[in-house]
Amino acid sequence: MNSFILSIALICCGGLAALAVWRQFIFMKIVAVSAISVGCTIGLIDALTKLLHPGTYTLSLNYLRSFSLSFQIDGLSAFFLVAIYAVSLLAAIYSFHYLNNREKALRSAVSYLFFALLIASMALVVTAANMITFMLSWEIMSLSSFFLVMYDHESAENRRAGYLYFVFSHVGAMFILASFGIFYGHTGSFMFSSGSAIPDSAKLTILILSFVGFGSKAGVFPLHIWLPHAHPAAPSHISAVMSGVMIKTGIYGIVRLYASLGLHTPLFGEIVLVAGMVSGILGVVYALGQHDIKRLLAYHSVENIGIILIGIGIGMIGVSFGNPVMAVLGFCGGLLHVLNHSIFKSLLFMGAGVVIQKTGTRTIDMLGGLLKNMKITGVTFLVGSLAISGLPPFNGFVSEFFIYLGGFRGVALDKTAFVLSIMAIVSLAIIGGLALACFTKVVGVVFQGEPRNPKATAVDEKGPTMLAPMLILAGFCFIIGVFPRLFVHMALKAIPVSGLGYGRIPMEPFLNITTNITLAATLFFVILMAALALRLVFYKGKTIGSSGTWGCGFTQPTARMQYTGTSYAASILEFFRPVAPLQEEHPAIRGRFPEKTHYRSHVDDIAERYMVRVVVSPVMWLFDRLRWIQHGDIHLYIGYILLAIVVLLFFV
Amino acid sequence: MIKSIFFWVLAILLAPFFSALILKVKAFFGGKKGPPLLINYYTLIKLFQKGSVYSTSTTFVFKLGPMVSLSAAVTALLFLPFAGHPPVFSFKGDLIFILYLLGLGRFFTIAAAMDTASPFEGMGAAREAYFPIICEATLFMILILFYILTGELHLAAYFSGSRPFELWQGAGSPMLFVVIALFIILLAENSRVPVDDPTTHLELTMIHEVMALDHSGPDFGFIELGSFLKLFFYASIVARLIMPFESGDLAINLGLFTASLVVVYMAVGVMESVMARYRMDRVPKFILTSFALAFFATVITLEFIK
Repeated sequence: MNSFILSIALICCGGLAALAVWRQFIFMKIVAVSAISVGCTIGLIDALTKLLHPGTYTLSLNYLRSFSLSFQIDGLSAFFLVAIYAVSLLAAIYSFHYLNNREKALRSAVSYLFFALLIASMALVVTAANMITFMLSWEIMSLSSFFLVMYDHESAENRRAGYLYFVFSHVGAMFILASFGIFYGHTGSFMFSSGSAIPDSAKLTILILSFVGFGSKAGVFPLHIWLPHAHPAAPSHISAVMSGVMIKTGIYGIVRLYASLGLHTPLFGEIVLVAGMVSGILGVVYALGQHDIKRLLAYHSVENIGIILIGIGIGMIGVSFGNPVMAVLGFCGGLLHVLNHSIFKSLLFMGAGVVIQKTGTRTIDMLGGLLKNMKITGVTFLVGSLAISGLPPFNGFVSEFFIYLGGFRGVALDKTAFVLSIMAIVSLAIIGGLALACFTKVVGVVFQGEPRNPKATAVDEKGPTMLAPMLILAGFCFIIGVFPRLFVHMALKAIPVSGLGYGRIPMEPFLNITTNITLAATLFFVILMAALALRLVFYKGKTIGSSGTWGCGFTQPTARMQYTGTSYAASILEFFRPVAPLQEEHPAIRGRFPEKTHYRSHVDDIAERYMVRVVVSPVMWLFDRLRWIQHGDIHLYIGYILLAIVVLLFFV
Repeated sequence: MIKSIFFWVLAILLAPFFSALILKVKAFFGGKKGPPLLINYYTLIKLFQKGSVYSTSTTFVFKLGPMVSLSAAVTALLFLPFAGHPPVFSFKGDLIFILYLLGLGRFFTIAAAMDTASPFEGMGAAREAYFPIICEATLFMILILFYILTGELHLAAYFSGSRPFELWQGAGSPMLFVVIALFIILLAENSRVPVDDPTTHLELTMIHEVMALDHSGPDFGFIELGSFLKLFFYASIVARLIMPFESGDLAINLGLFTASLVVVYMAVGVMESVMARYRMDRVPKFILTSFALAFFATVITLEFIK
């Protein structure tokens, strides 16, 4: 555990040191980035060794004699640690050239402090062995990320986003606390490992309550509302970490609690599976309707959390039906997708960050043609897009392939499980198709074609520390896509330690699945290389002309005539209109000399719409009635607290 | 193995020939003589001999697009049992891989179209991104049915040897639904009437053709070849289903397979001759029909099995 503590300490020191030397902007960045990256590297190596050498590593500290802070690293924790450290390391490096505004030196230093706290607390969350440690780390994580979201707090929109995130993370934390309360009430122990003694009905309540809490962090529909607001507000490397790994701590919580309770009724697995399908499909549908590139990526996090939950749900159903092969396929696919998503999503957010920094706009329809001047950003973004669309030979395909195989196992089961497996397979297919549509839109409109505004014309991509992490991430998208064996091995190591209720089954057949993927990907490459060689032969000595794009007879095209992302997505959105209502504003063109007109469209998120109508408005009304309690008098508040404790003493 | 590779090469070589059958049938319905049966080879040779003109808006993606979609189709054929003969490669779940690989080809076709900055190509690309989503859902529905019937997940388990016949035995008449659904998918995925009209005059109403507007010379030849191969892939699947019989003799098998392929291609030709293209907003409904058919086939078959 020593290197684990060392890594946490180094990361935190990096954050504090940044604050101490904030007046020397460049020096501050060097200190912070190097300390955080060294800390992350140590942690990453440590986590990898622990993952590949199974065992349980524990550490316990007694805090103020009242409770113990204890940490434990098993396969599941180590797996999440790998993702956390890897993405944080690259995000820290990326931040060096990304945070380049000298005038915001102090703010950048504060941001590094909270960034360090966020990394450390995420690492603590996934290693916490008891509930108190878990909740403490969870709260540090929520609060530090809240301050990171508020980086540009001058804008009212960002403050609103931060507030929304704050409310969601705390309401979520209350649900988690409630489930922990029931847990403690039945066992009298804060340790996760003591969960199996609880009666089944209480187990289900605990799981569902915690699912709401963890789901609000992970961004499960309809609790995802904060995501599309918080991500555009936060700086891009923070978005990368938040979307790439922080929301995955919610997934970790679900799996950890499920494993420690050992509840084998199919109902919870079915709930998770349905939540996954709904998040998956709606997430990508809303993503299609977005105009802001970071909002679009945020909705894709909702989609990918959906895919992960489909995998885990299939795994849980497999466990409850005593079908170990299905269980391992589902969990392995789901967990591998956690790693994969953290890789390609942070890559995409970093790419979006470069685009935003260089062009100054987040609006997709204002960009265009960036691939010509931003080769590295463009190509890595293209790789990320292929990976997130689940296309071979990139990593997204591998995890989805495992989930598919698990889903097909479920087809052999009966009744509900059968129907849900069919639905899961078909939804995965639809999600894949929609994600492809969405990312051809982003790549096509932002990086290809002609620039739609002057800012997008003369861009460069200076800043090697921003480009290097993206190249590394794109490399991993490809490596995992072609040689997934090691990474599937890692995911498999994460499953059995958590004791998911089946006997030991050989893992070799699962690893052999990856051999097929490698074979097929290699075949494709060989054929592609041959085709490219053939192309060279055909073009040898030919005249290659160059001219404008064929305008179908029209000779005066302008860049503004290009197909926009909005129109690209319009017909698909039309199909999903019941769940994605489109608000349009378009004054009609009238008369012989029409005035200038405009078109504005917005896709409403039904979760947001109904959340306001069903939850927020009644709560506001209720609290309005209770306003008389609030006097602003501090004595009275202390009185309230005393009164509450006295009343509680009567009951306990 | 050697024989399988031979058949794979044969499939690639024969695909352009079969596509010419469609033209012949259409010419027959129009009361014309039609082009020679080898027309597609002449076109390909002509295209491969030319140079190219590239738009100043395009990047390397534009050149990569045709190659990726062609390679995807060629790779897909590696897993296809030709005339019921075992394919070159086969593994559990290869069908999922193939569907996603064809998706990769589609991604690059769309990206190449978006590269030109042409509004027409953007329009075609948007349709190309939209319609296959429903096709994929249908294909996975059919895959589920086949999995229930056979417990296997690779193409060879459904279409090699006497397997198609076993599918018919297992499912019975609902298999007709599957055949129709697959035929609809064939039309939609390969941009045939009534989803798309390859011979239409107006760029606004095209899907696949408009996306290739700016490609010329060998690049365009590769696109054409890729689409012949893709059509051949789907057509052989349908062909194996409508002619599920198998004899021990290779020559008879080849004969039966060729005959059923001719039937499928001619059916496409007849469709194109007697129907007009649907209005764009009707197309999703048309493709959704295939999903409904596949779904019903699965539900009915389930009753038979239990």
